[in-house]
Amino acid sequence: MPELPLWLVWVIKAAVIYGALLSVAGLMSLAERKVSAWMQYRIGPNRVGPFGLLQPLADGVKFMFKEELVPAGANPFLFRIAPALAALPAMLAVAVIPFAGEIELFGQRTTLSVTDLPISSLYVLAVGGLGIYGIILGGWSSNSKYSLLGSLRASAQMVSYELSLILSILAVVALSGSLDLRVIADAQQADAALWNIARAPLAFLLFVVCMFAETNRHPFDFAESEPELVGGFHTEYSAMRFALFFLGEYCAMTVMSCLATVLFLAGGAIPFWPDAPWWAELASFLVKMSAFLFLYLWVRWTLPRFRFDQLMRLGWKVLLPLALFNLFATAALMAAGVL
Amino acid sequence: MVIVKRRELTLAERLYLPEIGRALALSLRAMFRKRVTRQYPEEPLPTNEVTRGQPRLVVKDDGNIACVSCGMCEVACPAYAITIDGGETDRAIEREPKRFDIDMLRCILCGFCEEACPKDAIYMSDELELADFSRQALVYDIEKLKRPRSALQKRIDYVNKLNDRWRKPSSTR
Amino acid sequence: MTKIQLNGREVEADPKKPLIAACHEHGANVPHYCYHPGLKAVGSCRICQVEVKQGEMPPRIVAACRTPVAEGMQVNTEAAKAHDARRECLEFLLKNHPLDCPICDKAGECDLQDYSYQEGQGEGRSVEPRRKLDKRKSLGDVILLDEERCILCSRCVRFMEEVPKTPQLTVAGLGSRSTIATFMDRPLSGNYQGNLADVCPVGALTLKKFRFQARVWNLRKSLSTCGECSRGCSITAEVLRGKEVKRFRPRYNDKVNKWWMCDSGRFALERHAEQAPGLGPRIAGALSRGQGAQVHEPIAAPSGVALAADMLAAHERRVVLASPWLSQEEGAALARIAQALGTTAGFVSPAPDGLADRLLHTGDPCPNRRGLTDLGFVALSVEECAARLAGCEVALVVGERAGELLREPLAALDASRRVALFEARALDAPAVKVQIGVPTHVEKSGTWINVDGHVGRLTIARAAPAGTPALTSSLRQLEEMLAAAAAGVVGDTGARR
Ligand code: SF4
Ligand code: SF4
Ligand code: SF4
Ligand code: FES
Repeated sequence: MPELPLWLVWVIKAAVIYGALLSVAGLMSLAERKVSAWMQYRIGPNRVGPFGLLQPLADGVKFMFKEELVPAGANPFLFRIAPALAALPAMLAVAVIPFAGEIELFGQRTTLSVTDLPISSLYVLAVGGLGIYGIILGGWSSNSKYSLLGSLRASAQMVSYELSLILSILAVVALSGSLDLRVIADAQQADAALWNIARAPLAFLLFVVCMFAETNRHPFDFAESEPELVGGFHTEYSAMRFALFFLGEYCAMTVMSCLATVLFLAGGAIPFWPDAPWWAELASFLVKMSAFLFLYLWVRWTLPRFRFDQLMRLGWKVLLPLALFNLFATAALMAAGVL
Repeated sequence: MVIVKRRELTLAERLYLPEIGRALALSLRAMFRKRVTRQYPEEPLPTNEVTRGQPRLVVKDDGNIACVSCGMCEVACPAYAITIDGGETDRAIEREPKRFDIDMLRCILCGFCEEACPKDAIYMSDELELADFSRQALVYDIEKLKRPRSALQKRIDYVNKLNDRWRKPSSTR
Repeated sequence: MTKIQLNGREVEADPKKPLIAACHEHGANVPHYCYHPGLKAVGSCRICQVEVKQGEMPPRIVAACRTPVAEGMQVNTEAAKAHDARRECLEFLLKNHPLDCPICDKAGECDLQDYSYQEGQGEGRSVEPRRKLDKRKSLGDVILLDEERCILCSRCVRFMEEVPKTPQLTVAGLGSRSTIATFMDRPLSGNYQGNLADVCPVGALTLKKFRFQARVWNLRKSLSTCGECSRGCSITAEVLRGKEVKRFRPRYNDKVNKWWMCDSGRFALERHAEQAPGLGPRIAGALSRGQGAQVHEPIAAPSGVALAADMLAAHERRVVLASPWLSQEEGAALARIAQALGTTAGFVSPAPDGLADRLLHTGDPCPNRRGLTDLGFVALSVEECAARLAGCEVALVVGERAGELLREPLAALDASRRVALFEARALDAPAVKVQIGVPTHVEKSGTWINVDGHVGRLTIARAAPAGTPALTSSLRQLEEMLAAAAAGVVGDTGARR
């Protein structure tokens, strides 16, 4: 293999990882339809390509050629930029996900992630939190009451659930003593009993619940809420900008799944195979991530949507106290030397 | 007025999580059940002589349609789908349609035309598909409506059987 | 008046008419084939049998069309015996009748069908083959005879003898081979043959021109008046799918035409077709020809009227000519306009067409001559009209067929004259600067007054071409504009274009 300068290797890594992220997001749109079909005794899209695999591509082409509408009275600049704002943060957040350990690439030793930050978990939360701006701006600039209500709900929801989300992650951070995702993942390596899902099950549960709320997914997708808000923040969007919102949503789901994998399932670690090669680690990472992605779909096509007041009550009165309790309990157990 | 008494929820139900688990199990099981989807164009619905598809004009064995443009189907049609203009012919039947249009977009497949026709000239076929690029193309004229008797024979036999069943025994015979 | 009891009710009957007339007059629907109120009764078909009880005698079944009314007779048209008799009579009539209804032009208004539903039995009992006769026998240019359908009621024979008084038909042959025939198979002649198809109670005599043209129940029938001569026979205009006028049929009017009409009126259908040979295309809205322009451009009717008003207001030496098809309402409006323009209106009175006879046709092709004369219009021959036009600077020519009648004089005018023409069909003449479309007499409502002073009504049988207002409203608009122009509001009309 020819030797390449380090920066070029990084560029290649970034390109591959983002390419992979976008294809996963595309495949998710197909998976969503397939899974929903299966759960309803149907077959799902199967006309484009084998098993409908080319459906996302066909959809993409369709979206490109659709007419783009900007509603009268909308703020055109914000209206146009909002979908990008919604999609971008999720894509940025994926930069620090440690997919696998060190690899030899074009003569350079490097880790299989775009970059490694010592405070990567903080980075993910900070960047991921920006996604809501896209939704708020999209809803407000549409000059439509449905969109506005949708984005208002989204922001309230985000504020309520981000808190619990952070608190649940904090417990994990405390357990591994580092903010670096790679360190957190590696700390669980040794065997399955040390995985955080086993050591901090409550934190895991809280994380999973908040993960749905963070990505605006069923049963917490109040920002869209078709029956009462006609699609919510994206009511007025069409063509590629509409698709961008969805791309952002699927990217966010993917990132969240990665995060859950790293935080609670030890990233790419394989139990009883401590010296697994990087490709095995990568494969195991992808399997775990897919499991979370499937969970997203599974829940969506099973549970009904909450009512908005129920959502708020759950967030503030149940999840927040639980998360606080969990944090203190973890600290106490650690102090007592149990964990 | 009905007073519905709500059932007290058990603790497990109120905790919500076990119920979610049950629901998830249910939908997971559903994924492996038999599919009900029919892959339509490849797997068409079966039709039989009872199927009322689009009306078609019978072409007799001598190559002529049996219709004499009497207009019975035209008046019977509740959807005003049929338009007929008659004209003279040298055949013994004297009269034949010069124009016989059925607007398939209007037709509601009720079969009244079939029932009204005194000449057994129009029958409901088993053809159900209808698609084209313009409305005008879906106004079928004689040429598009013609079907050989053999293609409609099953329906003809079925209708005859029905008619026999309803025919009153003659009062004076 | 004679008092009789009809179905238990005491009614007054005209002793000069047969019993069946009294029954019909008082709402008892007694079937009849050979009886026709306009013809002598012969009592040959026996379908009109009713039960009559007179004095102490037991009730008898009699033919209502041949029974005179007598004081105190008790008539029961619904008696079981009467129904039986009629049903049996029908069975014989249907014994040899072909199952032709699907192809028969009479179906839907056929007495045989109606009474079969009313009285007959559902199916025939005979097993013998039906008789075979000529199904397409021509009786001249107008009538086609289907011998198989004929029930030998002889109405047609009597019609020819009694109404136009030109006996040409007879019943020939014997028994089941009897047919209606002309002498030595000569074609029928005369201007009243079309009525044969009306008097024939079945589909044996049909009009060649109407053959297979339409099913009668698809025709929308409107009251109208025939416009082909000054008799103004009452008719129905029958229109298919809101477009084509398919039939004119006489409508009973005791004072004018009774049950009849002549063939020249009955078949004056062609000019109502979209494309009529020898006539220009229909004007929808209006057509205008600007100064020096060669072709007419379509414009909206109100703009056309405004142009006409401008022309009339701006020039002296005006002539107003009307068509004899103008209704009273339109004539009155035009008379007012002529007065405002300081002239007297005349109407075109073409020469007699030589069709006059002693029955109905007057030979004068002006259906509203009497009405227009009453309104003060002067009758002008085409030559007189031409003379008036030649001396004018601006002319107003109004009404259906006015342009047609004055085609030559109008075409002869040079382009410096200005003619505003209100016509149904377009005319290409250099002097005609603007033509405004008008409805024809089957497209408007109004009244005509016939030669004897009887009022004939017109109703709208079909819509005029889109954008063509009623002539009365066009004339009202013209009148208002002229009044405004006279009051000095000049140039106002131009803004309205
Ligand atoms: S099926 Fe019914 S609706 Fe269709 S053409 Fe016949 S009568 Fe009309
Ligand atoms: S009813 Fe039958 S014979 Fe009559 S017009 Fe219709 S198809 Fe023809
Ligand atoms: S004459 Fe009357 S009964 Fe006879 S075929 Fe014609 S419509 Fe039918
Ligand atoms: S109508 Fe009386 S016998 Fe014919």
